[in-house]
Amino acid sequence: TSSSVSEPPAASGPVCILVDSRCLSGAVELMTSLRQRHAATIHVCSLDGSYFIVSNRTAVERHSQSDLAAMQNRKRLADKVNSLQRLFERVCLIVEKDRTKAGEAARPFQRTRYYDSTLTALVRTGVRLLWSDGSEQSAGLLADLARLEQRKGQGIAVPLEVKGPHRQQALQLYLSLPSVNYVHALSMSHNFSSIAQLINGSIEAIQKGGCMSRSRAEEIYRFLRYSCDSFLMNTSKSKNS
Amino acid sequence: MDTKAPSLLNAVPPYGHVIASEKWRNSSLIQSLKCGGVKTLFENELGVADFHLPNKSCILYVSECDIIAGNGYKRKLVRYRNSSSSFQELVLVENTRLSEQYFSAVQKFVVLDLGLTLLPVSGQTEASQLISQMVDGEGRENPFRSRSSSLLLDPLVLALVQHVPGVGRVKALALLQHFSSIHQLCNAAPDQLEHIVGQAAAQQIHSFFHKPTAAGS
Repeated sequence: TSSSVSEPPAASGPVCILVDSRCLSGAVELMTSLRQRHAATIHVCSLDGSYFIVSNRTAVERHSQSDLAAMQNRKRLADKVNSLQRLFERVCLIVEKDRTKAGEAARPFQRTRYYDSTLTALVRTGVRLLWSDGSEQSAGLLADLARLEQRKGQGIAVPLEVKGPHRQQALQLYLSLPSVNYVHALSMSHNFSSIAQLINGSIEAIQKGGCMSRSRAEEIYRFLRYSCDSFLMNTSKSKNS
Repeated sequence: MDTKAPSLLNAVPPYGHVIASEKWRNSSLIQSLKCGGVKTLFENELGVADFHLPNKSCILYVSECDIIAGNGYKRKLVRYRNSSSSFQELVLVENTRLSEQYFSAVQKFVVLDLGLTLLPVSGQTEASQLISQMVDGEGRENPFRSRSSSLLLDPLVLALVQHVPGVGRVKALALLQHFSSIHQLCNAAPDQLEHIVGQAAAQQIHSFFHKPTAAGS
């Protein structure tokens, strides 16, 4: 079954970054810089949140400093971070200085206890923080991260596009597997010759074909064999009552 | 060989305290920690680290001066990273008007090359506020700590089966009553599926699972 699995990623060449379509508004500068200055291959797709994927295991969120300092954002931020940590081994957060409007004097950021406690909590959960002055620098950081991951053999190495309706449907099915991120699903749709090959695959085959960690592959393996009688009994009961 | 050092590398201060390297004794940072209600214990044998916190993290402080003076701080950072401490290793970096031109290079070294956590501060006052927060926050619940959400798998299986073209909720439930896992369903022959969903759908389901997807197989 390993004959269909792609070769390990090359250590050089342009880096690939997947971008959620929701990142695009207000990120023209960043995208231009990624493409032109850093020669990155950008693929815009529809992810389940507004983030970037720079490798098989790393997602990057971008937030302004004032975003992190605002108390009303914490619940949303926590939900986002939690869901990313389920899908990725590594979660990075680029903290960007707030933009000043033209003609406005740059106001120094007022650091609050609340802001410090947010940073502390993020660091304690293993989120990697990166600091940026603006879009240009953020683009550099994204490219640096992608290159670093490429060097470690974790770069996105499968074709970014999935052609044909059947393969598109397979991709959607793979995305509905628990703990599977877009790159895993993309890798699966290129590396497995059919959906059945994944479903009947060993843990090792899933790990290799999905370009994922062993524990994630185990989780998928168990899920595919999970027997769901109890649930069905419950739903039929509730319908009868 | 120094036999004392290794145990102190992992010395955890009591709650509400920090352990600081002796050289910080008369600093403004320690002064403002005191104002913030954090008690300091001084210690000569902390190794490279400047502070130990009760939440089992340690801090190396890189000052504006260190950065401007050149590369000496880099060697210190490498030693810090290589010290076999079981603590979470944090690096506070003074990002000031004088040092800001170097900040991105420092960040690259600390975060990307060494894999350490960097937190910028404008100076010792901000650093002491941040440290106080780390000491205080220790007992509190972390909002970013993933709640151990034991996902219910049944709805996920049902949702996945509905990704098969032509299979809605009703057919999916009927199929799963006979073949309770995705694995069983995928390996069911068309004639086994036929009496549940009819001949056409049975063919379609079987072929969906088995039709080639990858080009280079």
